[in-house]
Amino acid sequence: MAKYDKKRIAELVDGTLEFYQLKEMMSDFKDPERFDLHLSVLQERVPWDDPILLPYGLHLYIVQKKNGDRIVKCDCGHEFCDYRENWKLEAKIFVRNTEELMNEIYPKLMSPDPEWQVIREYYCPGCATQLETEAVPPWYPILLDFEPDIDTFYKDWLKKPLPTA
Amino acid sequence: MARSQILAIDAGGTMTDTFIIDEAGEFVVGKAQTTPKDEHIGLRNSAIDALNQWDAVIEEEYPNLLAGVYSGTAMLNRLVSRVGQRVGLIVNKGTEDNHRMGRGVQSYLGYSYSDRIHINTHHFDSPLVPRKWTVGVTERVDLFGNVVIPLYENDIRPAIQSLLDEDVEAIVISLLHSYKFPEHERKIRDIAEEMIQQENKDIKVFATVDYYPVRKESHRTNTTIVEAYAAEPSRKTLEMLDHSLREQGAEFDLRIMASHGGTIGIQANELARTCVSGPIGGMVGAKYLSENLGLKNVACSDIGGTSFDIGLITDGNLAIETDPAMARLVLSLPLVSMDTTGAGTGSFVRVDPNYGNLVIGPDSAGSRVGVCNPEGGIETVTVSDCHVVLGLINPDNFIGGVIKLSKEKAYEAVRTQIAEPLGLTVEDAAFGVTELLESQLRNYLESMILGKGYSPSQYVCFSYGGGGPLHTAGYTKGLGFEDILIPAWAAGFSAFGCGAADFEYRYDKTLDINVEEHAEDDAILNAGIELQAAWTELKTKVAEEFEKNGYSNNEVDFKLLYRMQYQGQLNDLEIEAPIKEFKSISDYETLVKTFEETYSKVYSKSALSPELGYSITGAIVRGVVEVPKPKIPEESLSSKEPPEEAYLGNREVYWDGEFLNASIYEMEKLKPGNTITAFSIIESSATTLVVPIGFEAYLDEKRIFHLKEL
Repeated sequence: MAKYDKKRIAELVDGTLEFYQLKEMMSDFKDPERFDLHLSVLQERVPWDDPILLPYGLHLYIVQKKNGDRIVKCDCGHEFCDYRENWKLEAKIFVRNTEELMNEIYPKLMSPDPEWQVIREYYCPGCATQLETEAVPPWYPILLDFEPDIDTFYKDWLKKPLPTA
Repeated sequence: MARSQILAIDAGGTMTDTFIIDEAGEFVVGKAQTTPKDEHIGLRNSAIDALNQWDAVIEEEYPNLLAGVYSGTAMLNRLVSRVGQRVGLIVNKGTEDNHRMGRGVQSYLGYSYSDRIHINTHHFDSPLVPRKWTVGVTERVDLFGNVVIPLYENDIRPAIQSLLDEDVEAIVISLLHSYKFPEHERKIRDIAEEMIQQENKDIKVFATVDYYPVRKESHRTNTTIVEAYAAEPSRKTLEMLDHSLREQGAEFDLRIMASHGGTIGIQANELARTCVSGPIGGMVGAKYLSENLGLKNVACSDIGGTSFDIGLITDGNLAIETDPAMARLVLSLPLVSMDTTGAGTGSFVRVDPNYGNLVIGPDSAGSRVGVCNPEGGIETVTVSDCHVVLGLINPDNFIGGVIKLSKEKAYEAVRTQIAEPLGLTVEDAAFGVTELLESQLRNYLESMILGKGYSPSQYVCFSYGGGGPLHTAGYTKGLGFEDILIPAWAAGFSAFGCGAADFEYRYDKTLDINVEEHAEDDAILNAGIELQAAWTELKTKVAEEFEKNGYSNNEVDFKLLYRMQYQGQLNDLEIEAPIKEFKSISDYETLVKTFEETYSKVYSKSALSPELGYSITGAIVRGVVEVPKPKIPEESLSSKEPPEEAYLGNREVYWDGEFLNASIYEMEKLKPGNTITAFSIIESSATTLVVPIGFEAYLDEKRIFHLKEL
């Protein structure tokens, strides 16, 4: 069964692996230690101490607070909200809804018609990192993408207790 | 000791194997390290090693040799590791990016099924010709061969000049639909050659129409690039090999195994087809053997360390695939058609951590065998480990005792990795693995034969390769083959096949000739003129190749083939034409009749659709000259009882829930006429034949075992 060291997983996070290494990892059964290793690599890289329960996207994590709250938090330390609520509503949002704004990122005439589709960009209020983008019709609601059942995940899948703050 | 007769060379990336076959069909195998810079040194060492076993030396034996056949992986390695020549490419203006984008299928060629449906693993290798060495010229020919945009001559010279300025070592020209209208490519070729001469450079120009005048642009372009990129550099290596063999006293023309199942000379125009040849050696050997035995339909099966290969010989012919893939490229080469699945004796066995089921392969330990090999450094259980646990292979006599296997290590690995997670005893777990493997192979074999429209009962099954005979009974059980044959000299079968290959050139050309059901005589005759013109052109090409080896036209046995289909259908059939030349309407009727006979066999009579009209989609010419081939042994029959000296003793074997006491025989000492009953294991240094309960094996005069289901 596949087994990797922490260095390999750190390279996986950084995207510095050669393709053949990546291919080997993708084709094999997932190594049982992967989640723990991945989490420990992420935990070492953030400047704060709240234990990460689950990676939540690029730069985002669900962390355990001392008071029992589970919060969506950015690399930089900015805390958004409870993980069951929509962090996007707490982010800075930039909407590209005119041809001029579209043309900043697309060649002319190769972007969608803003009457039909807009691009929403979500930024961290703490560090201004772009956290998420979506291409949606203008009237589309801001949805909560991911509602993980953290307790079940730890209890039935990982079969281990939740980290405590 | 008999005199050496045939030399077959298999130059792998690390080891060069030589097989020297004598007059009686006996052979010795020599091994030595490959010397990539001067391959002849590795070959010489390997031949010395082989002849040592006969107490013979090169100086005395080389002059006796009647033929030498080479197959090597150097060209394939050059392709895979992208270390070929600097090739410039000239294409239609506007299509300069086509080559680097490649065909979608190239992103997952050679992948296992699970990876094919796992899109994240898909990946395009870097192109053979980078974008900066690709230039466009304006012209367009449509699919009927009409010039839609004339060749814009002002584009040509600057395009070629820019490649010359980049110091390319070869130039490939590939224009859309050039096989229908070759003039444009040839014009560019002539100008390029003229400019190269003016600059006093040594650059070879490859126009696709001179090499592969066939449909499918990516395939045609890729193949011609492979010719320039990897094959041309190999020619020098082959010339050096040939030269050094002659210096050492050899008097034959060295030939190379080619993908179409024949061998070709080293001066051959199209060398790219020698890029793949390894697994087809066995098929070619099987064809030779089946001709000798008078068998028409044969299903060939070969289990090696990494894969299970099967191929069909139908009506005495190898099936040919015209657009195979190799080195993750789609190509236009005739390749002996074989199906391969990643299940061999070295395949890894795992318990899927998510679902708890057994999974075999697709990756494998290959030559490192398994955990049982203390020097292999393998940690995951392989099929071979299960064989050791079950007692099917003798751990002390693996490859003639060269590797000593550890039963304890195999047992321990199967226990912790397979048996305990599944809650089985170690023996049951190991037996389960072999049963699963055999049922997978059986399904695969059956589906391949049925899928081609035939039935196993019409076929004789050949089993060879190191791991084949161990599982033959298992994977043929219940399929109802007419007979199951295992040559006692099975392990060197692939080399035997190389030695048995014809000296044969084959050239293909795409045609688009449509003829309605009740066509006028004029239309039929016009079609015939076009077909015959293609045959004549290809015959000239084949004859030119043989001339390089000093064979004149009348020594060559030409075979004319054509590809035909109903108009609008997707698949054509390759058929040998029963005529020597197209002369009249009756010849056309013969071609149609032959096509419909073949069509009825492959599909069914009720599927005949003459109302659609006919398309002739290709012309093919094969030319063969007589060359010496290895002899098939012939011995007189002895008694039914195996001789005492063949009996090696007994060994405990676990089989289907119980421990049995198996009789062990030495393969080489068994005599023709012997019948071996269950439960027996027949051992040889490179292979093991298992005769399980419900089977018996009979050894015939040609030293071929017939495995019979009772």
